[in-house]
Amino acid sequence: MEIALAGNPNVGKSMLFSQLTGVGVIASNYPGTTVEYSEAKAKFMGLTLTVVDLPGTYSLAGNSDEERVATRLLTERRSDSVIAVLDATRLERNLVFLFELIEAGYNVVAALNMYDVLRRSKLEVDVPKLERILMMPVIPTVATKGEGVDSLLYTSVQIRRRSGFAVRYDSHIEGMIKELERVVQPEEGGPPVRSVAIRLLMGDRSVIDGASDGAKQLSERFRDEFRRTHGEDIVVHIQRDRFGEAGRIAGEVLSRAAAYRTRKSIAKDITLRPATGIPILVGVLALMFVILVFFGGLLEGALVHIYEHTGGVFFHDLGTQAGNHLASGILEGISLSIEAMLALVIPYILVFYVMLSVLEDTGYLVRVVSLLDGVMHRLGLHGRAVIPMVVGFGCNVPALLSTRTMGSRRERLILATLITIAVPCSAQTAIIIGSVGKFAGAWWALLIYVILMGMLVLLGLALHRAIKFEPTGMCIEIPDMRWPSAKQSAIKTYIRLKEFLTIAFPLLLAGSIIIETLLAYGVLQSLLRPAAPFMISVLGLPSIAAVALVFGVLRKEMALQMLMVLSGTGNLALVLSNHQMFVFALVMAIFMPCIAAFAVMLKEFGLKNTVGVAAASMALAIAMGAFANLLLKLS
Amino acid sequence: MPNSRMMDPEIIEQYLKIIYKLTEEGGQAKTSDIAAELNIAPASVTEMLHKLSAKGYVKHEPYRGVVLKPKGRKIASKVTRKHRLLERFLADFIGVKGPTTHQQACKMEHALTDEAEQSLCRMMQHPDKCPDGREIPKCERGITCDKCTSCDVPLSEMREGETAVVSHLISRDNDELCSMLSMGFVPGSEIRIEKRVPMGGPIIISLKGTKVALSRTRGDVLHVIRAG
Repeated sequence: MEIALAGNPNVGKSMLFSQLTGVGVIASNYPGTTVEYSEAKAKFMGLTLTVVDLPGTYSLAGNSDEERVATRLLTERRSDSVIAVLDATRLERNLVFLFELIEAGYNVVAALNMYDVLRRSKLEVDVPKLERILMMPVIPTVATKGEGVDSLLYTSVQIRRRSGFAVRYDSHIEGMIKELERVVQPEEGGPPVRSVAIRLLMGDRSVIDGASDGAKQLSERFRDEFRRTHGEDIVVHIQRDRFGEAGRIAGEVLSRAAAYRTRKSIAKDITLRPATGIPILVGVLALMFVILVFFGGLLEGALVHIYEHTGGVFFHDLGTQAGNHLASGILEGISLSIEAMLALVIPYILVFYVMLSVLEDTGYLVRVVSLLDGVMHRLGLHGRAVIPMVVGFGCNVPALLSTRTMGSRRERLILATLITIAVPCSAQTAIIIGSVGKFAGAWWALLIYVILMGMLVLLGLALHRAIKFEPTGMCIEIPDMRWPSAKQSAIKTYIRLKEFLTIAFPLLLAGSIIIETLLAYGVLQSLLRPAAPFMISVLGLPSIAAVALVFGVLRKEMALQMLMVLSGTGNLALVLSNHQMFVFALVMAIFMPCIAAFAVMLKEFGLKNTVGVAAASMALAIAMGAFANLLLKLS
Repeated sequence: MPNSRMMDPEIIEQYLKIIYKLTEEGGQAKTSDIAAELNIAPASVTEMLHKLSAKGYVKHEPYRGVVLKPKGRKIASKVTRKHRLLERFLADFIGVKGPTTHQQACKMEHALTDEAEQSLCRMMQHPDKCPDGREIPKCERGITCDKCTSCDVPLSEMREGETAVVSHLISRDNDELCSMLSMGFVPGSEIRIEKRVPMGGPIIISLKGTKVALSRTRGDVLHVIRAG
């Protein structure tokens, strides 16, 4: 049997999911982490349960990505039971969401979560009374401590029936519902006609598209009629009636009127005041960078050491056993690429993900989102775009995936373009640090970052001009600041890393096998030779650097390694001047990161857009490189 | 210069208002009728009608007359509304009698701002007819008169620390409306402006114990009544 978990964002739904199934699921202190859903199996009373965690949404009627995924999953899977996870401290709004689930005809069991927080503010919910009013089981739970979880599972397995509760709307709306019910065709096993009628009235596109012409026209007429006579949209009145009902019920079951705790006043929040917030942001970013370089470097050393004694030896032996010169060459290459990935990608990504989890968990990230919303609007985006951008500093692949949380397709495309071109991923950072930072000095490395940030702003402005449209407004909940929990951060890092290893890593590995084979047969070298003179004249780089550069388009994480192999020394200062290193790193930083990023873009945005962005990134990278070369030569 | 006179928005408004009046009960406005209303020669009227037609305000068919196009109708109904509200005001509140009511209103209508028009309408308790018994066109606010109170302001005009009650939401975008409603911004809910993040940042509102950051661009969707 199957159980679905539904609820508002930030109510502890994912936490409850991991309690129910024993698997770590990302739960973070900013709303909207789960755009895709998670699914896991659990054993209970000899039954195998499939538990589905839906993305957190405020409603089932809306048209955001999360809402669409949640609604689609609910209607397609028709789970045997739906657990509505409610935040007991915000009963009113959460009840409204529950009403929608009941109305849609699911077998609902309510989990009154965060009950401990409610109790701490000396409040109590009359649970039996609430159950009587709603005609369904309600279980108080504390997901963080696992309280009430067994009872919740037991109830949802045992009691599977629809509640008879229904919100009564004002008489005008009820009349319209009655008339619409008559023209709606009841569907076997589908949602109740009342729910279809209400969603037709609300103009819910997913329902309207599947409705008969008669129902479509009638609902359209009703909506117009309502707007004319009441001067307001019908959805406003429907939601108002729901909130009215929810408020009444909350008033009846709460031991006393919910005096909302006077939380820390946000007006004094120093992270939201530009005068203090921007220095804090810069400080946090700088700190992240230092940690990234320091701990990443430590990890890198350790991992390389371990690999050389295990995997390296294994591949070397395999190569000797093969006896074949060609095969051993390929194997040697694969071994080198694995080492490069271990050394360059995983340490930095891991450290970055730990930091990202902490930032999310504390609620700092959502404050950055608010602080930068106004600035982002000028780039044709809204504040939420900050999150994919920050994620992009780790790896562009999950960053491109997380652009899904943006409103429109155009916003997504702008954001994806900015990320691939102007946000350096950890492999690109490693190149900048490993070449310029190490040999030419930190200031040169910093200059590259400044140039990239400048490009981000200019490119954003230009794209905003070129693609005319109004950015959708942001509407996001700001949770209180809290201390991050080590367990949560660990779980989240683990899941992110796993995602990276399963999506980006195989693509990188496949790419490296193909390239190693081409190298061993000498195909790549002869293909790249014609490009070398161009690179030398335009970018002012020696021919070996040019080969590494073109090579880096395909495999960024190997470019530096390649340069060292080709120049026959680990000390790049012997073969490249500071200026040349700067140009090299700058061009690498602007190029599209890797094949994996290309593949993800292809999947998300289609061939035309992807090729366009890739071509633009190459052209920009070469143009910027040539320009830098020219400037440096003049000086 | 006749040309610069033609571009004068006041004259355009004047013409559109007269065409509106002449076509109010259906049919087309004849050049001679317009000329009679304005007390000028039909030839100059014809010339002006060509210009208006070229600008897309009216549809002009020679020998038959003109009708308003949507672009022209919008301006015409607004000016007519101001004109008739002013007539009402002059006649009922100040006691101006006779044809001067119309003449004065004709001059004042172009200077009256939209806010002043709204306040005037509220002060006179939303009259629907002018002194001659003609219909006053409805305003474009998309809300009913009982919702139209003097203290309702868009959220973006609220200052930090103020509390208010949501009065109504105005948006052409159903998704936008739905997303804000489901967060709990329904008519009647109490809100408090916690902070307006500088640099064009969002407005942070506390709503039933939750803090919500709302982009400033969305601030005009929500109309509120100041508390206290």
